[in-house]
Amino acid sequence: MPGPPRVAERLLSAALGPRWAEAILGDLHEEHARRVATSRVAASVWYSTQALRLASRYGVRTLWRGIRIERSRQVSAPRGDSLMRTLGFDIKYALRSNLQRPALAALIVLTLALGLGANAAVLAMVDALVVRPFPFPDVDRILLLSDSARDSEYRREQVAPANFLDWKRQSDTIQHMAAFAWWDVNLVGRDEPERVQGFRVSADFFPALGVQPVLGRGFAGEEETIGRHRLAVIGHGLWLRRFAGDPAIVGRTITLDAEPYEVVGIAPEGFDFPMGAEVWAPLAFDAKAAEQRTRRYLTVIGRLAPGASLGEAQSQMAVIAERLQQQYPATNRDRGVRVYKFSDGMVDPGITPILALWQAAAFFVLIIGCTNVMNLLLARGAERQRDIAVRLAMGADRRRVVRELLIESAMLALAAIPPTVLFAWIALDALKGTMPASIARFVPGWWSMQVDFRVLAVTAAIALAAALLFGIVPALQCTRPRLADTLKEGARGASAGRARQRIRRALVVAEITLALPLLVASAMGAIGAHRFLYGDQGYDPDRVLAMEMVLPTAAYEDDQARRNFVTRVLDRAAAVPGADAAAVINMLPARGNNSSRTLEIEGRPNADPAFPPNVDFRSATPGVFPVLGIPVHRGRGFTAADREDAQPVAVISQSLAERYWPNEDPLGRRMKLGTGPWLTIVGICGNVVHDWFDRRNYPTAYVPYAQSPTGNFGLAVRASGDPAALSSAARAAVRAVDPNQPVYDVMTLRAALRERTLGLQYIAAVMGVLGALALVLAAGGVYGVMAYMVAQRAHEIGVRIALGATRADVVRLTVSHTVRLSAIGVVLGITLSVLLGRVIEWGLLGTAAVDARIIAALGAVLSLSALAAGYIPARRAASIDPICTLRGE
Amino acid sequence: MTTLYLGEFEQVVLLAVLRLGDAAYAIPVREEIEVRTGRSVARGALYTALERLESKRYLRSRMGEPLAERGGRPRRYFTVTATGLAALRSSRRALLQLWGGLEGLLES
Repeated sequence: MPGPPRVAERLLSAALGPRWAEAILGDLHEEHARRVATSRVAASVWYSTQALRLASRYGVRTLWRGIRIERSRQVSAPRGDSLMRTLGFDIKYALRSNLQRPALAALIVLTLALGLGANAAVLAMVDALVVRPFPFPDVDRILLLSDSARDSEYRREQVAPANFLDWKRQSDTIQHMAAFAWWDVNLVGRDEPERVQGFRVSADFFPALGVQPVLGRGFAGEEETIGRHRLAVIGHGLWLRRFAGDPAIVGRTITLDAEPYEVVGIAPEGFDFPMGAEVWAPLAFDAKAAEQRTRRYLTVIGRLAPGASLGEAQSQMAVIAERLQQQYPATNRDRGVRVYKFSDGMVDPGITPILALWQAAAFFVLIIGCTNVMNLLLARGAERQRDIAVRLAMGADRRRVVRELLIESAMLALAAIPPTVLFAWIALDALKGTMPASIARFVPGWWSMQVDFRVLAVTAAIALAAALLFGIVPALQCTRPRLADTLKEGARGASAGRARQRIRRALVVAEITLALPLLVASAMGAIGAHRFLYGDQGYDPDRVLAMEMVLPTAAYEDDQARRNFVTRVLDRAAAVPGADAAAVINMLPARGNNSSRTLEIEGRPNADPAFPPNVDFRSATPGVFPVLGIPVHRGRGFTAADREDAQPVAVISQSLAERYWPNEDPLGRRMKLGTGPWLTIVGICGNVVHDWFDRRNYPTAYVPYAQSPTGNFGLAVRASGDPAALSSAARAAVRAVDPNQPVYDVMTLRAALRERTLGLQYIAAVMGVLGALALVLAAGGVYGVMAYMVAQRAHEIGVRIALGATRADVVRLTVSHTVRLSAIGVVLGITLSVLLGRVIEWGLLGTAAVDARIIAALGAVLSLSALAAGYIPARRAASIDPICTLRGE
Repeated sequence: MTTLYLGEFEQVVLLAVLRLGDAAYAIPVREEIEVRTGRSVARGALYTALERLESKRYLRSRMGEPLAERGGRPRRYFTVTATGLAALRSSRRALLQLWGGLEGLLES
């Protein structure tokens, strides 16, 4: 008969104390033997699980007892002390010895707190944004389902209605499968109309997330039908803001997108999923939509059925997808399903690398801090060398002395925790305070960033690990068993002292090596963020106020209605005092949205009809070029004569002209955008950075708004003075035309740009803070080593001065040490800088490159700081009075 | 003599050992508890309880013969000591006193 798994048995046997090992191992063996009869594999799994459980239960106890026995054996002769008693003594001793040098202790605590605080802040972010961004019950069982094409395994695609309905019908491992779709709505109410983030959701949406409205109810299945779907659950914030928290709102009717909706429920406080939603209405499909398998616009979530595992759900969905492929080969060929855990699927994949970068940087800072502390402790150890040597000579146990020194370090580390929490809290508060809510809503978990118990526990663990790290080297160093030497040499250590100096110099070099890449990274971040915000945009973002609006189709059914609205709004907006001119364009730059059309050039059929070229599409009123400050290089811009019944025309960007008419004159040529008419090209304008992330100087075609009136657009007003001052007058101009039409995102172009590039500014700012910390700590390290060296060599320096060395000689002697150390550090740091710089380059989307000049400049900054830090002790060395030192002999 | 009452789990373990008589080692003790109370018992918790009861002198243990089905290891058999019995009795008495008169109220 096969025995239980060997490894598990060994492990358990090691963990169990001698007294119980036989009985427990025997019991498990016996039970295992019984189980083998049914299934060998199951028995092995069972045994291993039990062994692990018992081992973890007994392991700690056995370890503890082992230590106790060890100690009692060791010290049984002279002192009858227990671990607890000596520990008590040691703690008292450590406390006293730390308090003897309060300034040193404070410096160490502060240094540690800075390093640990940076780590705790980033940890809190990782915890809130990556580990558990969603506060839903049993969030581990919530799933995200996405459509996927076979050739793009990892892209998360949205889902077409008919496929979603089939998935829902056929799966039994996933409960409450629910879909939702983006739905921006205009809310008209008692006050000014408002644009609200809404979502159309399945009835199962709330149950899938495990969320219940606090008032009223969610939606029922039969309400997912056209005609019965005009119901709404509204967000808690919206309820308080617009309806004064009146519970009677449930059952009343509100107007959304010019249609009446009955409020059936109020969402719980803080619930704003997805993406800061404030209104939810049932998602209903008409007969045509329910058959639709190619328009993918739904996000699908669900909850694992009780007892089902993620693996089971995945394999069942794979089977269903295969069935659909066979059933609907025309639309579903090569299309599969991917099932993710909700938290894996919903987190922005861009956040993790950035946080990883910050975490790495914060860790660098901590290591630099620890290095400093180690340096300080080495210096302290040198002072106590004689003390300790005497104790060791009298027969003290070296291990005991080392332990004492480690307890001292651990005490400092623990003392650093309160200021650490304070620093982390300040940092998080600053981050939260500077992030506009309009951006934070896209970052799930942003508002729940805090220094909580978990972060605290990890920080404490890191602090103790750090204490061990920076405490062990000095502790071993100053208890090295070279008693005779130390006692003989007197206060001025020679050989042991020299070894210690070597370590300390190596530490300074390491600090500089680590600080340089951090400085380079933060400089690159700053350069990148500055370029994003103040670099050439292709348009003039100053002195322009912009706002967006979406005309509901119910109120503005046809093109003529939209044209009329725009004409009247422009008239009023241009007449606002302080406004120079106004224009309307379907897509404002730097707003994170875009519109594009396929391009066809007359007389040049597309080589591959399945993949026609794509260009960005802008529909704009004549004022757009002067208002946005986009230069028209050749031909003309639009005029009032470009009416709907005039010849269809277009203005193209330089980049479009260069790409499609590289050696020809595009003026007068004709092209077609999407399914529109043939357009005659009448002008060429400058390129625009529509979006720093993926639309820089992209080929763009402009058409007159009158010839292609879109339902959503931005209104831009160029001001003669401060554009922000026009805000309320410009809003009023829109309200005067249609009091029910809300405007949103009212801000200057510069502010929009700032908001759009905020992520990068955050990266830059955080890296900047970490870089500055690294610089300060590294300079502090240099200072510490040099000051100590001067103190140690005071005698030697005194002799030199007495023998005729000038002050300048002495300064040069000390400073040359600093120069040598920082030179080695900088050279090593350059290698690391280039490596880290490559990572940053990728994080900043190539807007800032690692550059020899940056590295050289920062290397110089670092060397100069080191020099300055080393110069202070050098001055002190030069002012040594030879008489005093020699008298001391 | 002993004024300390037994913990609930300690009582359960002592009673199970008592019921099993000569055959009381960890495996049947655990089974007995599970069958009688319908609650599952973690092995680690049981060993800890047995160890603690033995150190309080409520239980006494002896090793059996090495057995092949146990990989040549002996069983550790437990017996309730006189002290253990006394502790059980005093616990029972105390509980019965408290229960007295409440049966009608609490039995459902």
